[in-house]
Amino acid sequence: MLKYRHAFVVGLQSNLVYRWNFAARSLFSIFHLVFIFIFWGAIYAGNASIGGYGFAQTLTYFVALFVLQFFIGAFNEDYQISEDIRNGLINQFLLKPINYFAYRLSVFASARVVSGALGLVALGVALPFFRGYLVLPHDGWRIALGIPAMALTALIQFSIAYCFGMLAFWFLEIQGFVILSMAVETVLGGQFFPLDLLPPAVFRAVSYLPFYYQAYFPTAILTGRIGLAAAARGLAVQALWAAVLVCVAEAVWLRGLRRHTAAGG
Amino acid sequence: MTNLSRYLRIWLASTRYSLVRTMMFRGDLFIWALVELFWISVNVLMIEVVYSHTSTVAGWSKYEMLLLAGTSMLIQRFLMGFFWSGIFEMGRNVRSGAFDFFLAQPGDPLFMASTRKLEMDGLLNSFVAAGLVVYSARRLGLHPGPSDLALYACMVACGVVIHYSALVMSMSLSFWITSSQGVEGSYFTLMEFSRIPREAFSKGLASALFVWVLPVVVVSNAPARVMLHGFEPSWALGLCAATLVWFALAVAVFRSGLRRYTSASS
Repeated sequence: MLKYRHAFVVGLQSNLVYRWNFAARSLFSIFHLVFIFIFWGAIYAGNASIGGYGFAQTLTYFVALFVLQFFIGAFNEDYQISEDIRNGLINQFLLKPINYFAYRLSVFASARVVSGALGLVALGVALPFFRGYLVLPHDGWRIALGIPAMALTALIQFSIAYCFGMLAFWFLEIQGFVILSMAVETVLGGQFFPLDLLPPAVFRAVSYLPFYYQAYFPTAILTGRIGLAAAARGLAVQALWAAVLVCVAEAVWLRGLRRHTAAGG
Repeated sequence: MTNLSRYLRIWLASTRYSLVRTMMFRGDLFIWALVELFWISVNVLMIEVVYSHTSTVAGWSKYEMLLLAGTSMLIQRFLMGFFWSGIFEMGRNVRSGAFDFFLAQPGDPLFMASTRKLEMDGLLNSFVAAGLVVYSARRLGLHPGPSDLALYACMVACGVVIHYSALVMSMSLSFWITSSQGVEGSYFTLMEFSRIPREAFSKGLASALFVWVLPVVVVSNAPARVMLHGFEPSWALGLCAATLVWFALAVAVFRSGLRRYTSASS
């Protein structure tokens, strides 16, 4: 564990080098909240409720999603991993007693600590403007289930990014695949609109896909869009998806290594 | 005139190079065309979902909103097709020192850097976006005349110039900060506003900022309104003025950044 703690600390330091980038991104992302406010405000004008939720509840959903993404979102891990493979940097990990998945997960965790802190700064700037519209439920179980759901969401997001990064073993250029998957994840993860606005049959089908657990699920728990029974059942499905994706990531790594050729001195 | 024809020849040479390069990586073209198509579909799906719960948004019907979204996408696909790769790589090139390559070329560095690569996937999907505009116009029963279509094309071109300028300014930040990684995301965040009808902005700070200071709303609303309501002088003149101001600002910021550039160590 000590080596992964060191990887975390080194990751923290290297991410702090780019703190101004993270800060600029987090402050710019406030514009996204403004977009949500104006766009959904226009949709709700003349409609007290849409899909059973009022404007304040929908705005709360998007603000919570905004904050969670800073803490649990995989932003460019796939790109970093593919660069490691393309440039032969993974060779050093093959020669050392270190698990590449665990190493990358440690670096991912450190990056999220930095981006999460800066996300909170962005929230602090935006909060005075949105505070009057936010309605958070006060059930204690939402925190108790929301925190493990967030941790599993982070693991799912990271595992998917890891698998896409691994594609560099087979393809020279993986960004096309990454952005293609991002389009699917953005919609089916509930980042464009709350998934419960979909027709009920489609919503039920989507709730069995891993994308549902990438953003919508923890946000819906914390903002009161799903009840206790659905949250508990969802947490079990989410844990299953996280386990499946970690296994897939390991399998892809092993298959990829068979194709890998370490060259040079 | 000679200068203009020289730049046209340079651009045609870049186009030829891009076409040859694209044909060498046909699989890549297919994937990226699919990516663009997916993003267009995602936006259309969002409109479908929203309008399954309401009949109007800021007074705009579903097909008017699709027309607006199609126009916004058309402008973005042109930007992606003609300029995206060159401007996107600018950040990395400045950081690595590879930007020297453009300084050594026989032309303005901004022109050389931003027009070097054409992305065929973006240009292919501009047909899909145009198709969405045509489909929406037909569903709305619109019959624009040749002058309306010409004005629409001019306004789309103005929109491309404004998007280009905003992106150049975003990426020029790489002359000042350690890495521009993710800065392009700020461009996409701002451009989200181009999918919102002007009427959604009530008078106040948001209206002043996103309609007038940052013309992200005007960029797509002005051409869409030409199709819906015909020529409106205030919108046309406002867009032309914004185009000139934004382009001048982008050139000024880029040149100011370029003065800080000190090759590989910058």
